[in-house]
Amino acid sequence: MKPEARPTFGKGVRLRREPDGTAMLLVPEGALVLNPSAAAALELVDGHRTVADIVTCLVRAFEIGEEDARSDVGSLFDRLVERQTLRFL
Amino acid sequence: MLESHRPLSLLCELTYRCNLACPYCSNPVELARYRDELTTTEWKRVLDEAAALGVVQAHFSGGEPTLRRDLAEIVAHARRAGLYSNLITQGTFLDDKRLDHLLAAGLDHIQISVQAPTEELADEIAGTNVHARKIEALERIAARDVALTLNCVLHRRNHDQLAETIALAERLGIARVELANVQFYGWAFRNRAALMPTREQVLTGSAIVSAARERLRGRMEIVYVAADHFGEFPKPCMNGWGREFLTVTPNGTVLPCPAATAIRTLSFENVRERSLSEIWTDSAAFNAYRGTAWMAEPCRSCERRERDWGGCRCQAFLLTGDAAATDPACRLSPDHALIVEAREPKDEPLVARR
Repeated sequence: MKPEARPTFGKGVRLRREPDGTAMLLVPEGALVLNPSAAAALELVDGHRTVADIVTCLVRAFEIGEEDARSDVGSLFDRLVERQTLRFL
Repeated sequence: MLESHRPLSLLCELTYRCNLACPYCSNPVELARYRDELTTTEWKRVLDEAAALGVVQAHFSGGEPTLRRDLAEIVAHARRAGLYSNLITQGTFLDDKRLDHLLAAGLDHIQISVQAPTEELADEIAGTNVHARKIEALERIAARDVALTLNCVLHRRNHDQLAETIALAERLGIARVELANVQFYGWAFRNRAALMPTREQVLTGSAIVSAARERLRGRMEIVYVAADHFGEFPKPCMNGWGREFLTVTPNGTVLPCPAATAIRTLSFENVRERSLSEIWTDSAAFNAYRGTAWMAEPCRSCERRERDWGGCRCQAFLLTGDAAATDPACRLSPDHALIVEAREPKDEPLVARR
């Protein structure tokens, strides 16, 4: 995926925070429980930020290496794009 | 007390009224006692109580849920309660104005069933001429900002058109398709011999679905519900009794599974008499088959017991008269011969749902 691509959620996809802080991605007929790093990445998805913006935010917030952040975000987004949970503008 | 998980999903059967007469309808054959439908206010309370219990998704079904004039108001309330909302409908009453109201109310997902991909067969199965208007509805909704799934219930009469059903969805630009082999409850159980697919249809169908999934990867999600009469192990019905799902019928009866009224040995409580939370946690019906302690052999010592959950309680009851028996769909069930016998296709007339 290109760093300048701008991810947005597919139709009928909603991110939800539980009172205990866990995050879920609600999709047609299902709910995916997210781990904290996936939740952090997906909370930055708004149709405006680019993949590169999201990686930069995560690097700052979690003090992780840029390579690691890029590869984590890449594999998460790839999986979600395949199931049409995410698409790129 | 048995451990009750948090329910994630609530099926709201808003009405059993329907303008179609599909012979595989999962509604109870005896519909008279469901005519006293919950009011708008009562449904709102049910949704609030469900959200407090931890439910995240509400599915609005029937019967035909769009026959309820207060549907958009109920959907809006679900949204206010933080619930994801899904409408399961035959679709023809969703004109642009109705769609505007529902989408403004926050509806997330619409599922529309077609009876077959070709008009003649579809209308014959539905018992009325609706197919052309369903296609119009699918086109109209595909252009809107809402998730859309095309559903088709598969049985002997339409199984051979499975590839055409996928092609229809592709032509309409629909990104999600749900192809479900008929489950034998309600009217479908009455029509089981006439609806039962052949082994050849089941095998061909699986191959068609696998090939289509590969070809349409990233463009279309195909959900396929296998024919459990032809498998080795039963379906893990509802992912365990009283574990993740709740159903509320039109008159407020609360069920662990939409087909559960088939089990005559259980009595089910009503949201008009007790809160959803009390019913979920304490009712005898919800606790009857929760977890694994109720199981007899071969389930009790089976390594699949927390995967299959003994299969389907309703099917066990319908076929053996004992809801605590192993689902006969399992090859390890002492009653498995009942399923094997039922695989034989029989030429019986279809009885339309009334």
